[in-house]
Amino acid sequence: MTAFIFVLVALFAAAPVYAVDGKQLLEQVDRNLAPESYELYRKLINIEPDGKKKEFVLFTVKKGKDKIAGLFISPASEKGRSTLRLGENMWLYIPNVGKPIRITSLQSVIGGVFNNSDILQLDYSEEYNVAQVEDQGKEFLLHLKAKTKTVAYDQLKMWVDKDKVSPTKIECLTEASMLIKTLYFTDIKDFGRGIVRPASVETDSPLYKGYKSIMLFANFKKREVADEVFTLTFMPNIDSLR
Amino acid sequence: MPKRSLYNLLWIILFLASPCLGEEFTFDLTEVEKKPYHVGGYLELRPTLFGLDRDSNLYKVRFYNQDEGKTTEQLVSILQLEGSLEKGIATLFARANFELNHTYLGWSDQGSLFEGYLSLKPSQSMHFNLGKQTMKWGKGYAWNPVAFVDRLKNPDEPDLNLEGFFMASASFIKSFDGPLKNFSFTPVFLPAYGDMNDDFGETGKLNVAAKLYFLYYDTDIDLMFLSEGSRSARYGFDFSRNLLTNLEIHGEFAWITDSKRIVIDEAGKVSQTESDVASFLIGFRYLSMQETTYIFEYYHNGTGFTQDEVENFFSFINVGYDTYLAGRSDALLKRAQSLSESGYGRANVMKDYLYLRISQKEPFDILYFTPAITWIFNVDDQSFSLSPELLYTGVTNLELRLKGTVLAGQSFSEYGEKQNDYRIELRVRYYF
Repeated sequence: MTAFIFVLVALFAAAPVYAVDGKQLLEQVDRNLAPESYELYRKLINIEPDGKKKEFVLFTVKKGKDKIAGLFISPASEKGRSTLRLGENMWLYIPNVGKPIRITSLQSVIGGVFNNSDILQLDYSEEYNVAQVEDQGKEFLLHLKAKTKTVAYDQLKMWVDKDKVSPTKIECLTEASMLIKTLYFTDIKDFGRGIVRPASVETDSPLYKGYKSIMLFANFKKREVADEVFTLTFMPNIDSLR
Repeated sequence: MPKRSLYNLLWIILFLASPCLGEEFTFDLTEVEKKPYHVGGYLELRPTLFGLDRDSNLYKVRFYNQDEGKTTEQLVSILQLEGSLEKGIATLFARANFELNHTYLGWSDQGSLFEGYLSLKPSQSMHFNLGKQTMKWGKGYAWNPVAFVDRLKNPDEPDLNLEGFFMASASFIKSFDGPLKNFSFTPVFLPAYGDMNDDFGETGKLNVAAKLYFLYYDTDIDLMFLSEGSRSARYGFDFSRNLLTNLEIHGEFAWITDSKRIVIDEAGKVSQTESDVASFLIGFRYLSMQETTYIFEYYHNGTGFTQDEVENFFSFINVGYDTYLAGRSDALLKRAQSLSESGYGRANVMKDYLYLRISQKEPFDILYFTPAITWIFNVDDQSFSLSPELLYTGVTNLELRLKGTVLAGQSFSEYGEKQNDYRIELRVRYYF
């Protein structure tokens, strides 16, 4: 009888992970990070081992599950460049070149640790399935697996604060579980109108030893724009949305 | 000063000198405040050394009566200014290019309005532009046979801004759910009257062109045409699609009616030919796991010269040069110079070309450093140009590029007969 109770207790202790609906949890994380449709400004700071910095400021507008566009507004050398993502399709528009060219999620239009998929991030639940949820006390650890081969990172390990249902750390891994980069979410901030989320995301990578990049968020608000904004023809005109 | 105080002072200095230790990063909203106007551009300095090929035919045409030695230098300085003014649905935009150059001919300057137009955006699915503008149709990187209403771009520098033409254009966009994700229609009206657009072709004509764009099953597709007017009528299409996340393919096809070419035969007799021709391009862009980007294109230039036609031109130069050396007139060389400027001397004048560009992002963990090598190969005569380059953009708004180009080929081949054997240039560009 004692053994039976022990087994039951042991099973109960191991069971909380099954009590959590991973898909629902990930969708909640997505909604807490951002409304489905929004606009925001981001500052990306690349920091080299010697402390040298390079900053980029980007305006972003997203609609629904699979449409997101960005526009660089500084520095002057990048001003006017815009990026567009429609599901798995990504384009970069460079004013000099004058026409959008297709780019891939693993490329980086700015150099440094952040790549295009970080800049044109869709909802995590749109790109990943939850393979496993671990209860780690104050946090859940979500093991995420990419739904398709087109996603930049095959696996993610996402640590989620239980109270805020918001990520604190994400490790991005290849199919062979090699760590590509780690994202750290800090500085929870109330942006107004119900948007409360980390205002800073820092990243480092074993592939870029000593380098790190930081993404700061500002002017985050819900916004609905026309579907036609997310087209190649509109790319040179994204600034008119600001 | 006691030793301990000295250490403390050293630590304070080190702490102050280290910009990252404990640094708070801020994002001030004034940084993103939009002004109704914008002024920007870049300043460029480009010193270049040319190694002359004194035995080549195009050298003979240009330098037959002067001796510039084995090398010649050139200093190009460019100020490109752009500005915009926005009010409601209207935006005024202008981009002007000013050049001050020093070559073996001395100093020269040139200023031109690249673009200058009024844009009206009554809604997010519709806009109208009126003024000097570029369309930049096509998906090719080095060549765009379907760019019917633009100037020819230089495959050696395909990313440079081009001067536009005066035109009225509009865009109507519509998005859908389903396999056809979006669609846009861009009509263009390009008048060529008097001085306006007189370099587009025959004047006294109103040229009408249009482009239809579809994003269909994750494939970009464009259909376009230019009606008969200053230039002969032409029809085309292009496409671009990702086969894999890191592999993109693209292509262009243009059908050009009544394409005219001025050709010269072995006897030096100049004649004009006219026929319908097809130009097309197929290419891919591949990104490896090591972040090496490969761009490859094959281009068939239907309007280009055959190998025989180019050889006839070079033979004609030889005859002209021998005549000049024999103490007689330089009239034949002057005629060759005129033919060179009207067609034979342009970039990629023949029929079939391959283009390969390999660039490596940030090798050896050097951030913002991109070495690249570009190879343009003339399939018809096996001549080529090879251009290695080093690009560094680590200082905000400053771009440094060191580029060399070697031109090689047999006698009477396109690159073998260029006036230069090699070129080395440093480009320093500051954006503001």
